[in-house]
Amino acid sequence: MEMIFAGLLDSLSPASLMFVFIGVAVGVLIGAIPGINGPMAIALFIPVTYYMSPLTAIGFLVGLNKGAFFGGAVSAVLLRTPGTPEAAATAWDGYPLTQQGKGEKALRMALYSSVAGDFISTVVLILIAAPLAAVALFMGPAEIFALISLALTVIAGIGTSSILRGLIAAGFGILLGLIGTEPVTALPRLTFDMYQLGGGLSLIPVAIGLLAFSEILLQLEKLRARGGCDQAATKFSSKREDRLLSAREFFESKKTLLRGSLIGIGVGAMPGLGAPVASFMSYDQAMKRSPHKEEFGKGRLEGIAASESANSSVVAASLIPLFVLGIPGNLAAAMLMGAFMIHGMQPGPLLFQENAQLMYGIYGSLLLASLFLLVIGRFGLRYFCKAVNIPAMILYPIVVFTCIMGAYLGKSSMFDVGVMLTFGFVGYFMRKFDYSYVAFLIGLILAPEWERSLQQVVIISEYDTYMFFQRPVAMVLMALTLIVVVRTFWNSILAGRKKRLEAAAAAGAHKGD
Amino acid sequence: MTRLKRDSIAYLVVIGFSIVMLAWAIPNYTPEYPGYGASAALVPIVAVSVMLVMAVISLITIAIAVYTNKPLPEEEREFPEDLDHDDGFTQVGRVNLYHLAIIMIPSILLVVAVEYIGYVLTSIAFLIIFQYAIGSRKWVQIIALAVILTAVLYVVMRYGFGVPVPGPQILL
Repeated sequence: MEMIFAGLLDSLSPASLMFVFIGVAVGVLIGAIPGINGPMAIALFIPVTYYMSPLTAIGFLVGLNKGAFFGGAVSAVLLRTPGTPEAAATAWDGYPLTQQGKGEKALRMALYSSVAGDFISTVVLILIAAPLAAVALFMGPAEIFALISLALTVIAGIGTSSILRGLIAAGFGILLGLIGTEPVTALPRLTFDMYQLGGGLSLIPVAIGLLAFSEILLQLEKLRARGGCDQAATKFSSKREDRLLSAREFFESKKTLLRGSLIGIGVGAMPGLGAPVASFMSYDQAMKRSPHKEEFGKGRLEGIAASESANSSVVAASLIPLFVLGIPGNLAAAMLMGAFMIHGMQPGPLLFQENAQLMYGIYGSLLLASLFLLVIGRFGLRYFCKAVNIPAMILYPIVVFTCIMGAYLGKSSMFDVGVMLTFGFVGYFMRKFDYSYVAFLIGLILAPEWERSLQQVVIISEYDTYMFFQRPVAMVLMALTLIVVVRTFWNSILAGRKKRLEAAAAAGAHKGD
Repeated sequence: MTRLKRDSIAYLVVIGFSIVMLAWAIPNYTPEYPGYGASAALVPIVAVSVMLVMAVISLITIAIAVYTNKPLPEEEREFPEDLDHDDGFTQVGRVNLYHLAIIMIPSILLVVAVEYIGYVLTSIAFLIIFQYAIGSRKWVQIIALAVILTAVLYVVMRYGFGVPVPGPQILL
């Protein structure tokens, strides 16, 4: 109990309060800019946190992520261009409201729904993460090895249309994650005699290159192809009823809000699904259960509530697998895991034993971030709306230069800037060729832990290859890994066959004409 | 070039890379087995083998589809044009090497030049070239942004974080 109060008090220190506040404000601003999303923002801002205390750093990054999730709704509602992928469903009802001059009302609904979903999810995280972590402590190296294998297999299917390419990307990530000092011999491995690689590839330059720099390369390419994309400024109605959201309007969607939050928590807690899935699932359920189905997609506030409550509740829920098992379920969690490691902590069940006070401090920061999101969103909405109109010709040079200096900041080394540019280049091709950068990054992050647990299994079992069969949980996890692989292969074969049959039918019909 | 051809080239690159890693890099740049635990080469070999096997399976699948002359779905026959994937990151079809070059070359030059002529001059030059390369032609805006951004980041790094900016400090 003493630890809980001490942790919560830490989160109320002036530095912590200030950086959580700044994090939320910057997150909303960044999320509102089309093309910049939460994981990108975290990658860009992690270097800034090198000089903060662990609690302040994690609080700042969590605030940034929460802010970016809501910020995504701003451009979705005003421009029908989701600032973040999970805000896509918000645009379906938000944009029609903007066309009716009710953009501010739509944004207020998005804000209150985001805060409600985020708050419910944070409370669930606080209530269940520590007890689950206590159970997870009973897991040995065999279970950890099997769990990471399962997570990598599940995650290999994200961000690509082919599991084969996902596994190639995960394998590549694992390979690069093994560069550096080998844990058993303490000798350099795959460093190609470059002393800068002795400590391994730094996560931050790789993440900045892969997430931010390559994204800017692609966006600029699109911009040049289109010949510019400056947006017209958005106008709001001056009528009070078009601007403000009444309590009755908000509470009309209370069931949708609760359902959306629960869907978001369920989806967020499972590695690999992510906020867009939660958002679309919640929207779909809201529409199916509503007596006003026909109004969805034409400017119904309930649609915004469904999407925003679900996607915002994913933020805290995605920390459940990270805190309990040390497995990042999505890109934002992977970036936060990187931040934990930079500050000398390994996410996982031991975190609650070794850094209990810090963990309760982080819980405090998570709750504060929800509160700040409400305050910042409530009073700064009109100002954040201006962010959607920042000209690309000003925005992109700023982002690119921030990428370069962010990569330099960690070790004050231009070598890391070279690493960032290399992975910007690699990321450009990975996206063009549909290789999952999510699987790559998570493979890169989990590789050392995966290898460490394998080494422990080999040493403890004294080379007994049947060790997994003596550990029921590990055996179940390995069996699940196998099932996931076989099922995904089978599904992709079926999907390919269906596509070819459709193509054959289309070709036949064409000949018949 | 069709999407299938492009994918095939990518798989061949993966196969080539995997063979180089297995035949040369891993044996030459991995510590020898110390006599206990798993070999330092085990996990790298597993990772590269996964890449190799997946690329070979993919290539075989493409070969079977092509040689049995099965009709291909539309998106495999043509390049996907300017697709916006639902993961929120941009996805576009063709590789535009010219575009890549005009962004990457100034960035690489920045990394090299900063060691010789210092942060301020290199950064201003880089930002001017970069903005021009991406199509900006408003010279006042170009120069103002280059100078302001360089100055702001200099102040943030030097006085905010206490980190020396890259390159010779005398030319600051």
